[in-house]
Amino acid sequence: MGRFILQRFGVMFLTALALTLIVFFLTNLQPNLEKIAKFQGNARMTEPEVVSWLEKNGYAQPMLTRYAEWLGLAKGWTHTDDEGKVTGRCIDHGQAPAEAPSRCGLLQGDWGYSIFFEADVAGKVLGKLALTGKLMLWVMLLMIPMALIIGVLSGMREGSKLDRVLSTFSIVTTATPEYVSGVIFIAVFASSAVGLKWFKGTATSAMENATFENFFLPVLTISLYGMGYISRMTRASMTEVMTAQYIRTARLKGVSFYNVVVKHALRNALIAPFTVIMLQFPWLLNGVVIVETLFNYKGFGWALVQAAGNNDIELLLAISVVSVMVVLVTQLISDIGYVYLNPRIRIS
Amino acid sequence: MYGEAKTISRIYYSLIHILKIVDCSALYPIGATGRVLMSNKINNVDSIHWAAEMHAQEVFDGKLDRREFLTRATALGVTSAAAYGLIGLNAPARAMGTPKMGGTLRIQMEVHGMSEPRLYQWSEMGNMTRGWLEHLIHYNNDGSFSPVLAESWETSDDAKTITINLRKGVTWNNGDPFTADDVVHNFNLWCDGNVEGNSMATRMGPLVDPDTKKAIEGSIVAKDSHTVVLNLPYPDITILAGIADYPAAITHPSLDGGNPIDNPIGTGPYLPESYDVGEKAVMVRNENHKWWNEGNGAYLDRIEFIDYGTDPATIMAAVEAEEVDMTYESVGDFIDILDGLDMVRAEASTAATIVVRPNQSTEVDGQKPYSDVRVRRALAMAVDNEVVLELGYAGRGKAAENHHVSPIHPEYAELPPQKVDPAGAMALMKEAGMADFEHEIISLDDGFEKDTSDAVAAQLRDAGFNVTRKVLPGSTFWNDWAKFPFSSTTWNQRPFGVQVLALAYKSGVPWNETGFSNEEFDNTLVEASAIADADQRRVLMKRLEEIMQSEGVIIQPYWRSVYNHARPGLVNAGVHAQFEIKYQNIGWEA
Repeated sequence: MGRFILQRFGVMFLTALALTLIVFFLTNLQPNLEKIAKFQGNARMTEPEVVSWLEKNGYAQPMLTRYAEWLGLAKGWTHTDDEGKVTGRCIDHGQAPAEAPSRCGLLQGDWGYSIFFEADVAGKVLGKLALTGKLMLWVMLLMIPMALIIGVLSGMREGSKLDRVLSTFSIVTTATPEYVSGVIFIAVFASSAVGLKWFKGTATSAMENATFENFFLPVLTISLYGMGYISRMTRASMTEVMTAQYIRTARLKGVSFYNVVVKHALRNALIAPFTVIMLQFPWLLNGVVIVETLFNYKGFGWALVQAAGNNDIELLLAISVVSVMVVLVTQLISDIGYVYLNPRIRIS
Repeated sequence: MYGEAKTISRIYYSLIHILKIVDCSALYPIGATGRVLMSNKINNVDSIHWAAEMHAQEVFDGKLDRREFLTRATALGVTSAAAYGLIGLNAPARAMGTPKMGGTLRIQMEVHGMSEPRLYQWSEMGNMTRGWLEHLIHYNNDGSFSPVLAESWETSDDAKTITINLRKGVTWNNGDPFTADDVVHNFNLWCDGNVEGNSMATRMGPLVDPDTKKAIEGSIVAKDSHTVVLNLPYPDITILAGIADYPAAITHPSLDGGNPIDNPIGTGPYLPESYDVGEKAVMVRNENHKWWNEGNGAYLDRIEFIDYGTDPATIMAAVEAEEVDMTYESVGDFIDILDGLDMVRAEASTAATIVVRPNQSTEVDGQKPYSDVRVRRALAMAVDNEVVLELGYAGRGKAAENHHVSPIHPEYAELPPQKVDPAGAMALMKEAGMADFEHEIISLDDGFEKDTSDAVAAQLRDAGFNVTRKVLPGSTFWNDWAKFPFSSTTWNQRPFGVQVLALAYKSGVPWNETGFSNEEFDNTLVEASAIADADQRRVLMKRLEEIMQSEGVIIQPYWRSVYNHARPGLVNAGVHAQFEIKYQNIGWEA
């Protein structure tokens, strides 16, 4: 088991390295650098001003050198202007150049500086992750129990009226993208057009102070989409288990239907949904992009949109690393969890 | 998908708009228009500029309207109270009762990344620091200027010497006295054209040495501790308007190119508490500093600027969720919708505009399609500006005349109306051999910019031209805005017509987005900028306007009125023509 986990972390490390290299390459194409210059300097800068700005700010070096700078392998750039003032990657505003470290990258624990947020990347990404974590926690708390209940209820008697109703519900919710359901929810429950005004149509204030009123709509929007999918999986798995030989045997022995479902079928039926639920985590990271934008909730997904829109290199790199970690860690958990749910599977 | 979400939310809100029975009885009184009202004590009648008295006579003769008179007289150094006095009126009283002390205000406004003030590229950035970084003078919605850190200013008869008398008894919030040296220091910063993106250098015009790109030696002098004298090599009246503009915030020498949020030394009554780009900025009253204007402002304890992006639907949702008390700007259909949400509407008519322009020097597939004047003229000829105003901005403004000089500019000269002639346009385009050329109009993906560009495109298609449209999000659009072959750009208003032309149409200036380069135009413009008297300037302005039209430089459909909304009971929260939010003047009604 230990070796297996170690192996997985090795894969994670390599994937992160490969992905960041690709992201670094794409964000450092010349037009993107010009974009940074104009964003940081002035949107209305002229061509020679852009070139001079890029030179002064270390962007004129070869790409691999700068990637090594980010990793902390190469020394940070410095620039001495005409008046002898030294600026550099590792020199903070107002800091004496002699006091600044020569390298500042991942190896030194420095995730870099976000040009959009004008703040350190590490602090910003953690803060945004916490906000999205809060959103996801509530989504999971609402989505998983609901999805499992719906799935088990519809799967235990395939073809019954209850199954038809719940299946229709699941299919409708999972077929409705978030940007449609979100808008409909805002229209119906939050605007004066319909007049219900039960909830708030924006979740901006929920970042600091989440209440049922301002946080329920975004949570519901994300949950419903995932709920349909997971419940369909649970249903499929449940119907399969319910037709298995041992269930028939249990029924013939006179075990009550309730006991058959809860004691015999449920554990086996939950193996497939477990994997699906774990795979929902990485998917949620991408799903929140839309919902966070729609409800103006400034979490990880919103940060990703801003980072990409503004070509914020170091922020994008950090986000890539976090995404790789989220995907691979949840897969790892799902693999390990499998062992406990299904005794037939052994790792190592 | 991000775009789709926005489009759908737009459709939804349009639906609301259609379905909603707008309560017409809810016509609220229009809020105060953000005038800075402080009694001006040095109203010395002896020193009134001769030209101001001449203009006053013109008002009596009916040759000049009041607004134009106020712009001209105050630019010549006459206080606004005295200017009103010259034409026999009292300065308008504060529109509503005095605000009470205390309270929190939440303003919907974008929170951009910050830089030192002279590099500001957004009015929003200026608004953030307005609470502690004050300006020398302030431009009012009625076209006049009022004093802030400057107590008064005089223009010499030949308009080559400008004397600025500073307010006495002003201190920085670190305890240093505010003196003429600080102001000289700021003028030198503004004049430094070697700093990339310093747009103040353009505004400082004649003070900048074209060779060194720095202030001309001896042109900015501290005559005594509270008097600054500007010696211009040639007259230029627009400097005063330049120092009232948002990047001209007066900073302490210790800022040294840094971020004013990190080093908030200023003269004003507020300080930043927190600043999160893209999210929220909070300003709080500075209890450890005695503000020079104490008792006449700084009512609020706390001001929060909350960023809701640029989608008006999101902004409206924020108003509906009662997360904000005041909008930065209300646009399009949302103006009526917000009226219906118990918000008080304020309006300012402006010289702000949108320009749909071809770039004469940009290459498309190896050719420069818009270098041919016939092509440009044909484009302008095919567009009916009235129709574009109606379709693109719901008629909330005044049709413009394709020369970017507004009737509210003092030197505006009326030209004969232009003819809309789609057939003639097509003939001209054929003559240029460009009848089959595919024009692509690029615009922002949102709001009136998009609608207006769509309307222009539709008109061009009606004339038989081959036109496609492309929309870009703001973050992409503004990176290349000046270089697109054919695109739309919004322009804020500026107090003088010559100012706008110098900023955007002079050969080779940074913000010249049309690639327009015309020697006669440049020379006439320099000449016009040197004339303090608006009537004399108008003669040259007429020629400039004619050149703009005959060269087909821009399609300029309309002048916008601007609007914002505030909750009832908020005083001085009305929109400013240049989107300035002086939060030290805003307060909740007692």
